[in-house]
Amino acid sequence: MATFTERMAPVLVLWLAVSLSGTWAVDKGNFKTCDQSSFCKRQRALKPGESPYRALLETMELTNTRLTLQLINDNNKVRLLLELYRLQGNITRVKINELKPLKLRYEVPDVLIRDPPTEPLSLLSQDENGVVLSLGAESQRVIVSARPFRLDIMEGREVLMSLNSRGLLAFEHLRMRKDTQADPEAEKKEETDPAKQAETAKEEEEKVEDGMWEETFKSHSDSKPNGPSAVSLDFSLPGVEHVYGIPEHADTLRLKTTENGDPYRLYNLDVFQYELYNPMALYGAVPVMLAHNAQRTTGIFWLNAAETWVDISSNTAGKTVFGKMLDYVQGSSETPQTDVRWISESGIIDVFIMLGPTPKDVFAQYASLTGTQAFPPLAAVGYHQCRWNYNDQEDVTSVDAGFDEHDIPYDYIWLDIEHTDGKRYFTWDPHKFASPKEMLQGLMDKKRKMVAIVDPHIKVDTNYKIHNEIRSRSFYIKNKDGGDYEGWCWPGSAGYPDFTRADMRDWWASMFAYDQYEGSMENLYTWNDMNEPSVFNGPEVTMHKDALHGAWEHRDVHNLYGFYVQMATAEGLIQRSGGVERPFVLTRAFFAGSQRYGAVWTGDNAAEWDHLKVSIPMCLSLGLVGISFCGADVGGFFKSPSTELLVRWYQTGAYQPFFRAHAHLDTPRREPWLFGPENTALIREAVRQRYTLLPYWYQQFYHAHRTGQPIMRPLWVEYPEDPATFALDDEFLIGRDLLVHPVTEEGARGVTAYLPGKDEVWFDVHTFQKHNGAQNLYIPVTISSIPVFQRGGSIIPRKIRVRRSSSCMMHDPYTLYVALNPQRTAEGELYIDDGHTFNYEKEFIHRRLSFANNLLSSVNLAPDAQFSTRSWIERIVILGASKPSKVILKTDDGQESQLEFDFDSSMSVLTLRKPGMNAGVDWNVMLQ
Amino acid sequence: MFETGVSGFLSSDMRLHISLTFIITITASCGTADSRKIRGISPSYKRFYRERKSFLCIDGSKMIPFEQVNDDYCDCEDGSDEPGTSACPRGRFYCTNLSFRPHYIPSSRVNDGICDCCDASDEYNSHARCQNTCWNLGQRERAYVEGQMRTLDEGLQLKQQLIEEGVLLWREKQAQLRELQQVAEDLQIKLEEHRRKKHEAERLREQTLKALGAGDSSVRRENGSSTFNFLDSNKDGSLTVEEVQAKVALVHDEERLLSEDEAVALLGGGRLMDLTLFQHTLWDVLTKADSVKIRGSLDAAGRVVAEDLEASDGEWEATNQKKVEEAYDTVNMEISDLRKKLTIDYGPDWEFLFLNSQCYKLKVYEYTYTLCPFNQVTQRSTAGADVSLGRWGMWAGTPHNQYSQMVYESGEPCWQGGSRSTTVTLTCGTETALRSVREPSKCQYIMDFQTPVACQPVLKQRGIHSEL
Repeated sequence: MATFTERMAPVLVLWLAVSLSGTWAVDKGNFKTCDQSSFCKRQRALKPGESPYRALLETMELTNTRLTLQLINDNNKVRLLLELYRLQGNITRVKINELKPLKLRYEVPDVLIRDPPTEPLSLLSQDENGVVLSLGAESQRVIVSARPFRLDIMEGREVLMSLNSRGLLAFEHLRMRKDTQADPEAEKKEETDPAKQAETAKEEEEKVEDGMWEETFKSHSDSKPNGPSAVSLDFSLPGVEHVYGIPEHADTLRLKTTENGDPYRLYNLDVFQYELYNPMALYGAVPVMLAHNAQRTTGIFWLNAAETWVDISSNTAGKTVFGKMLDYVQGSSETPQTDVRWISESGIIDVFIMLGPTPKDVFAQYASLTGTQAFPPLAAVGYHQCRWNYNDQEDVTSVDAGFDEHDIPYDYIWLDIEHTDGKRYFTWDPHKFASPKEMLQGLMDKKRKMVAIVDPHIKVDTNYKIHNEIRSRSFYIKNKDGGDYEGWCWPGSAGYPDFTRADMRDWWASMFAYDQYEGSMENLYTWNDMNEPSVFNGPEVTMHKDALHGAWEHRDVHNLYGFYVQMATAEGLIQRSGGVERPFVLTRAFFAGSQRYGAVWTGDNAAEWDHLKVSIPMCLSLGLVGISFCGADVGGFFKSPSTELLVRWYQTGAYQPFFRAHAHLDTPRREPWLFGPENTALIREAVRQRYTLLPYWYQQFYHAHRTGQPIMRPLWVEYPEDPATFALDDEFLIGRDLLVHPVTEEGARGVTAYLPGKDEVWFDVHTFQKHNGAQNLYIPVTISSIPVFQRGGSIIPRKIRVRRSSSCMMHDPYTLYVALNPQRTAEGELYIDDGHTFNYEKEFIHRRLSFANNLLSSVNLAPDAQFSTRSWIERIVILGASKPSKVILKTDDGQESQLEFDFDSSMSVLTLRKPGMNAGVDWNVMLQ
Repeated sequence: MFETGVSGFLSSDMRLHISLTFIITITASCGTADSRKIRGISPSYKRFYRERKSFLCIDGSKMIPFEQVNDDYCDCEDGSDEPGTSACPRGRFYCTNLSFRPHYIPSSRVNDGICDCCDASDEYNSHARCQNTCWNLGQRERAYVEGQMRTLDEGLQLKQQLIEEGVLLWREKQAQLRELQQVAEDLQIKLEEHRRKKHEAERLREQTLKALGAGDSSVRRENGSSTFNFLDSNKDGSLTVEEVQAKVALVHDEERLLSEDEAVALLGGGRLMDLTLFQHTLWDVLTKADSVKIRGSLDAAGRVVAEDLEASDGEWEATNQKKVEEAYDTVNMEISDLRKKLTIDYGPDWEFLFLNSQCYKLKVYEYTYTLCPFNQVTQRSTAGADVSLGRWGMWAGTPHNQYSQMVYESGEPCWQGGSRSTTVTLTCGTETALRSVREPSKCQYIMDFQTPVACQPVLKQRGIHSEL
C-alpha cells in the first residue's frame, strides 16, 4: 500500500496542477456568490424598515460597567440578550446573543489580547420609548430606542453611528429540526414531549427554507446539523462617504457600494489566479471597517470568525459631482450617509465601535483590543529572495553567490514545498537537501538567513513522525462522523491539525525545537502557506463546514484557522531560542490579531501590471486594520513578467513593508541578474535604496509595534481634512515623512503625484528639489525613476554604506537627512537596538532629533533604556538650508568643535562633513 | 605644494594628467605613507597616494587634504579617497593576498564581519577573527592549476588523437558516402534493367492478351495442352490429385484447398488424368470458369494461361525487383542520413565528429539523462518512459568559442506551453562524460559535458598565473 500511495501522490499532484492550470483567470464557478450561500441569500432578502425586534426596557440592568437588556423578536417571540459596554479609549462594545440558546453559540477566543477594560456607564434619562446613557466624559451618549430596537451613538447633537436603524438586525435562533428529513424517531419523541411541543408551536411561523438544514454546492454537501444560525446587523454612518478596510480583497482602497453586485465576502480561501477589482473573498479576513470624513474617523470591528458578507450602500453613490452640487445649491441635499450591513453564518454579534475621532485614535483603539504589529527582526525588513523552488543545496549556494557577484544585498533565501521529503513538513529531501545544516551554516557565514515552508496539512503516512504523533494525540480535526478529517493537498491525502486547541498549538510549537526539527538552525525561519486551510478537493478549495473542532463546527472557526497556525508557529520559533530571539513567520491566511505573529503577503498574484498596481491598495487596507507587515510577490507569482514590469515591481516593492520576490515553479528563472547589466543595475539600485532606508523602516516597525499605527499609510491618515487624499491609492506614505508614488504603468513617461499639505514642502529624495504641498505634481520619469519625497519638517536617518545583508550594516554610521519646512524646523527620531532579540524591551536607544533656530539636537527619549552602539553620525544633510558661516558641534562632554561643511547653493543643500559623534549620545549642532 | 600650484590654472582633465606626471617624476623618491594610508591600494595605484598635503580624487573632480584619505568619510565621487574603508558606495578594496592571487572586493565588504581577503586585510577593524589563508589557498590553487594543466595537456593530446581520428573518420564517412553512392548507382542500373525487362514482359503479355482477346476461336486454338503442361507440375504427362489441388481452386473461394474428393471428381473420378482426357473434360470446365479456375487467376482460364506462360519466370522477376527497390531505398536513406550528418559543423578539425554515434548517461536522483550528441537528449524516470528534452539544434557558444555550448530544442511540450530544451556546456577533461544535469527553470535543462575535444590551447596560456 505504501508504495502504491508513494506512486499515486505525484500523479495526483500532476493531475491537480494540470487541471488547475487550464485557464489563466479565476474560475468564479468554484466560489460561492451570496445567492449560493443560503444564509447570505436569506439575510439579504430581508427588507429594511420591518424590524421585528423590540427592546424590553423593563429587563434593563445597569451596573457600573455594563448595560444588559432583552430584545424580543415579535414574529417568533425569541428573546435576545443585548450587552453594552463602554470600553476605555472611546470604544463601545455591543454584544447580542440568544437569551437562552438551545446550545452555546461560538464566541471568538484568543483574538482580543485581554478582557477590554471598561469605563462607567450612566443613565441620563429613561421613558417608555427608550433610554439615554452617557458614554464617559466626552459628551457622548447612546440612545436605546425600544420599538423597533435601535441604538444611536451621539456626540453633542450629532449622530455618529446608528445600529439597526434600517431594521436589518437578524438573529437566527438555534432550533430543533422538524422537517421531513429529520429522524422520525426523534420527531415522535418530540411530539410526545409537551414542553417541546410548546416550543414547536412557537416556531410554527418560521418558514423552513432551502439550505437551512442542508446545503449543496457543486458536488459538496454541508450537513448543517445545527440548522440556520446566521446573525446580521446594519450600521448607518451619517456624514460618511468613505469607508475602508475589511481585507482581504483585490480591490481599491476606498470600498465600493455593493448594491449592484455581491457584498464583500470575508471567508479565507485559496483562490487560484484571483481576479482584481471585485468583492470576492481571498486568503485572509479582518472584519474591521473604517469610516472617514473630514471631521472624524470611526471604526467597526465585527468579531466573528464564520463566513461573513458585508454590504455597503450610500445615498450619494452614483451621484455625479454636478448632482451633488445641485443638491447643495437647491438646499435639498440630504446628509451624505453610508450604510453598512454585516452578515455572518454563525456565532454571535460582538461588535466594537471605535469612535476615533482621529485616524490615529482609531488605530490605537483597535490596537488596544487586538494588539499591535509584532516587532520583526531587522533582517526581515530587508530583501527576501524566494522561488518555487530552489532545487537543491547547490542551487541555493549559487543563487547566494550570484547576489555577491552582482553586489546586491539580501537577507533571506526561501525554500518552497519541494525542499521537503515528499511534502512532509519539518523534513528535508534526502538527496537535494542532504545536509541542511551545512547549507544554513554557509548562509550564516555571510550573515544571511533562510525561510523554509511549513504548511498545516500533514501527509497521512504512518512512516511520518509528525503524522503519527498528531494522530496518536487525536489532534486532527474530525469529520462530521467523528473520524480524522482527510483532504487532498500537496502531499496527497492529508490531515489538518486542530490549531484551535491550545494543547495542539503547544505541541506544534515544540516541533520547532532544534532537536525536533532536524536540520534546523537559528537562522532558519518559517513560512505558513495554505492555511486558509486549502483543501484541494473540499468545497471552495477549503474545509467542509461540518468538520469538527471538538464541540465546534469548522463553520464557526473557519476564518481563525490561519491565525492560529501562525500563532503556534511563531510561538515555536520563540521557544526554540528560550524566549530570546524574535520570530519571523509569514502567513497567507489571517484574521484580526494576526499582526501579533508576523508578516502576511497578498498570495498568489500574477505578473501583470494591474497586479502591481493593486498591491498598493491591498497593503494599505491591511495596514489600516493593524497588519502592517504586508507585501506582494515581487515580479508576480503566476506567469513571467516583462523586464520592465520586473524592474518596476522591484522599485515598488522596495518601498513596501514586506519585500520578497517570488515566482511559480513553471516560470523561467528571474534572479535580478538575468536580464542584462542595465536591468541588473536598476534592480540593484532599488534594493540598495531599501537598504539605505532600513533605519527609517525599522523605526516605523518599532512605532507600529508600540502604537498600532500603520507603516504604509494612505495619505488621508496624515491629512484627514483634505478630501483630495481620501481615495488616493496609487501613492502612499511610509510613516509620515516619506511619500512614494511608484511607477506602475507600462511605458510610463511621467506620473502625477499629489503632494499633500497646504503649508508644507516636499523634497525629492534623489535630487533634493523642493516642491510645494497641496498640488498635483507631474514628474517625468525614466526606467530608473522611483518618485519618493521627504516631507519638509522631518529628519530621516539612513545608512548609506549598503552591504551584503542588514546584519553586515549593524555597526555602520548614520547619515541624517534634515528636510526643513517653511518655518525652518524639522523633527525626527533615531531608534537602535540589537536587531534580533526581545532585549529591545529594555535595551535600546530612542532619541528625538530636532532642528529649530539653526540648532540640530539629539535628545534621549528613553533615559531608562540601556543600549550602546558603535554606530556614529557620519554626515548630516540639511535640505532647504542657507549657507552658514560656521558650524559648531557640541557633545555632552562639553567639547566643542567646528565642522567642515559643503553648501550647494543651487539646491540649498548643506552637507556637514563627518561630525563623528556616537549615535547614542546627546549632542547638538549649531549653524552660525 | 607643487601640484596645488599647477592645478590652480589647469582644467581638471589636464590637472589629473599633469599632476600624475609630477607625482611620478618629481615625487618618486618620497617616503611611503603609513599603513592606514596605503590600505586597500594595488601597487599600480600606489603612485596616486604618495603622502603630501593634498590628494586629488583620481577622477580629478576634487582636491582634498591628504589627511582625508582613508579617514572613513567619502569625499570623492569616484570613491578614490577611501580605498581602505567602507565609506564610499562605489569604492573597491585591494586584497594583496600574498602567496595567493590579489584581487579587488567592493569596499562595502571592508569590516563587515566576513572574511573576504585571504590575507584578512579587509577585516582590520571588526569582530571577525580572520586567519590568513592565502598560503593554503595558494597551495590549493597551484595544485588545482597544476591539475588543470595536466588535464589540459592530457586533454590536448587526446584531442589531437581525436582530431586525427576525426579526420580519418571524416574520410571514412566520405568514403562510405562515395561507396554508398556507388552502390546506389549500381542498384539503379539493376533496377532499370529490371524495369526494362518488366516493361518488355508486359509488352509481350499485352500482345498475347490481344491475341487471346481476338475471339473465342483463338482461345480454342489453344487446345489445352499448355494448360495441361502448366498443371502437370512434375511433367510426367498426367495430372494427379495433388497437382490439381495445388493449382486449381474454386472460383468463389480461392483460398480453400480443394478436397481430395473434389480433385478426384475434377479428374473424372480417377486419380490420374492424361492430356486427352483433360482436353475433353477439365479443360472445358476451366475455360467456362464458372465453378473452378486456375489458382491465382482473375479471369477466364485462357487469360490465366496466357499469364502462366511466363508465371514462373515472372514471379521470380517481381520479388527480385522488389528486393532491389528496397535495397535502393535503404541505400538512399543511408546516403541522406550520412549527408545530413556530414553537414553538421563538427569543428574546424572534425574533432567533435566521434561524438556523433555515441550516447552518454548520467543518473541524477530518480532520473537518468541520456545525451546523444548531435542527435537528442532524453530523460527517463525510474518508473516512466523516455521524455525528449530536445533534438540537436545548434552550436551556441560565445563568439570567441562557439563550440563551448550546444543547444537541443523542441523536446516534449510543457504544461504551460513551450517545449523542453537543453543547453549543454562543454568543458575540457580527459574523459568524455556527462558530468551534471540541472533544471533551473521548468523544462529548461542545463548539462555539463566534459570531453578532451573541448580543451583549448588558449586556456593553457591563461591558466598560468603570473601573480602566483
